[in-house]
Amino acid sequence: MKNFNIILGLVLLGLTSLSVQSAEIRDYHKDVIGKDCKTCHDNGIKQFPSDQSCLQCHDVDDLAKKTARSEEDKWQNPHNNLHYGKDVPCQECHSEHKTKQPLCSNCHTFKFDKHKG
Amino acid sequence: MSNIDLLGRRKFIAGLGIAAGAAMVAPAMAVSEKADGVKWDKEVEIVIIGSGFAGLAAAIEATKHGAKDVHIFEKMSYFGGNSAINGGLFAAPGTPMQKKEGVEDSVDRMVNDQLLSGRGIADEGLLRHVASHAVEALQMTLDAGSEYHPYLQQLGGHSVARTYQTSVSCGAGITQPLYKECKRIGVNTHNRSKFEGFLVGNKGEVVGVKMRQNYHFGEDQPGKVLNIRAKRGVIMATGGFAQNVDLRMAQDPTLTADVGCTNAPGATGEGMFEMFRLGAIPVHLAHIQSGPWASPDEGGFGYVSNYSIFNLPHSIAVSRTTGKRFMNEIADRKTRADAELSNRDEKGNPVPPLLISSFKDSKAHPNTEKVIKYNVGWKFESLEELATHFGVPLAGLKAQIAEYNGYVKTGEDKQFGKDMTLAKNKMIEAPFTVVRLWPKVHYCQGGVKVNTKAEVTDSFTGKSITGLYAAGEVCGGIHGVSRLGSCSIPECMVMGMTAARSLMNV
Repeated sequence: MKNFNIILGLVLLGLTSLSVQSAEIRDYHKDVIGKDCKTCHDNGIKQFPSDQSCLQCHDVDDLAKKTARSEEDKWQNPHNNLHYGKDVPCQECHSEHKTKQPLCSNCHTFKFDKHKG
Repeated sequence: MSNIDLLGRRKFIAGLGIAAGAAMVAPAMAVSEKADGVKWDKEVEIVIIGSGFAGLAAAIEATKHGAKDVHIFEKMSYFGGNSAINGGLFAAPGTPMQKKEGVEDSVDRMVNDQLLSGRGIADEGLLRHVASHAVEALQMTLDAGSEYHPYLQQLGGHSVARTYQTSVSCGAGITQPLYKECKRIGVNTHNRSKFEGFLVGNKGEVVGVKMRQNYHFGEDQPGKVLNIRAKRGVIMATGGFAQNVDLRMAQDPTLTADVGCTNAPGATGEGMFEMFRLGAIPVHLAHIQSGPWASPDEGGFGYVSNYSIFNLPHSIAVSRTTGKRFMNEIADRKTRADAELSNRDEKGNPVPPLLISSFKDSKAHPNTEKVIKYNVGWKFESLEELATHFGVPLAGLKAQIAEYNGYVKTGEDKQFGKDMTLAKNKMIEAPFTVVRLWPKVHYCQGGVKVNTKAEVTDSFTGKSITGLYAAGEVCGGIHGVSRLGSCSIPECMVMGMTAARSLMNV
């Protein structure tokens, strides 16, 4: 039982530090997420959030507008791109607990200055 | 090798090595099983695995012939597979644009070109079947809303100009309209769904599949496995295995993780292997093609590939150490990839050759501006400037260009016998645009054996495996040693349509 408590304590500590880390990557999420992991983890804490999870607050059309590029580069908009339209799930390019490369960087040298993993 | 940051790409490739390793472990644990006593979680009319050209075309064709409950399952989080990121080049004989441009072509002529490139081991029956239905497949893309450049291209190894290209110069110009059409006509689509094996009836027939739901590629995140019964059958449209480094190195040890790859990360080959386990005949697995038009200055297919494909007919490829040409710029892919790979220094390190075009001719392709803008190609006002930038011997380069320009005038390439039709009146002169060339693993000619009904053949009986169909790159043997450019899209689409017709018995 004692061991169990220690493990539970470590797990809880781990969760807290994870949530701190996520807030460090995106400080604007701090107020919304707080310490309630379930805000995003709708599939259970140990599972990745569903692809719809981010869309509770974010609207794909708004995001596409925010990241729109000039007419000649219009298809380089990560939220409305040539290859997949508006259908790329958020987790392909974004992660709360670590930084990620945008999906485009597999093949292209585009710069996304505001991309925060 | 390059002045741009390739580290991200290298890390990505290294990561894929791990992912590919993991992907190879998973199917070993979950293989095909007897369907006896299985609890079905779901029953559907048609199961299609994979959402590239073949899968999407199959879904549309099946629906057209009356299927009411078609399901496409896709392993990745996004739809389109490798088809969504390739060049969008579509070859067909006897098209409206050929009639307009006065190009004489026929099914026989296209098949003959492909047989030559296949070096004696291509499957003539399948090539003929695909070429005979290519115009129908092209029409399916037009009906769904695909748009094409208003000109034909003549790709390496083709004896005439017969290649359409989407106006966005990418396969997404086809997958996006087909995907939207699928949604419009009520095809059910499931992303993050990983194929885990077949469920097999008492006579060895395929009656269903096991699909893992909520699958996150490259992550340790086991979702639930569902048993899905497929009333009419299963169409495997899972693509090639160019991203599976272990598997491709087993076939060709030179294709290490250091060799780039143009394919989408999901091209790892588990679907193909599960068909082998079931008894399908493996064909030509060792014939893996590299794209000779790729650039070492960007990842994947990138921008340069299409730029080069358009420009090679009226440009020269020269060795950086001599300034001399070293190949026919529009020979078939294998000939050119082998020639490029021989460009090395005395220690054996790659010295990627240069593709030099006149800016006036290169700029007709929409990618030219982007290639320069994104630092994967360069523009030079003079030959001196170009030679200094890359350290090419100026005298040799000057002499080579003068010699080649003579061939442009006479229409006869005495160096390499290049077909100069598309080079007519296109002298190599300043200002120049330049990209570097280095092959990337691009296409797996090998896969499972199918017949002209897209039925998968069994190794021991020689008969078709009931309930199992395959289409696209997962099939093998069609092209032989080397696939001609722009011949995969018609194959994927025609064989996808064929599989659907076979299932619907039409």
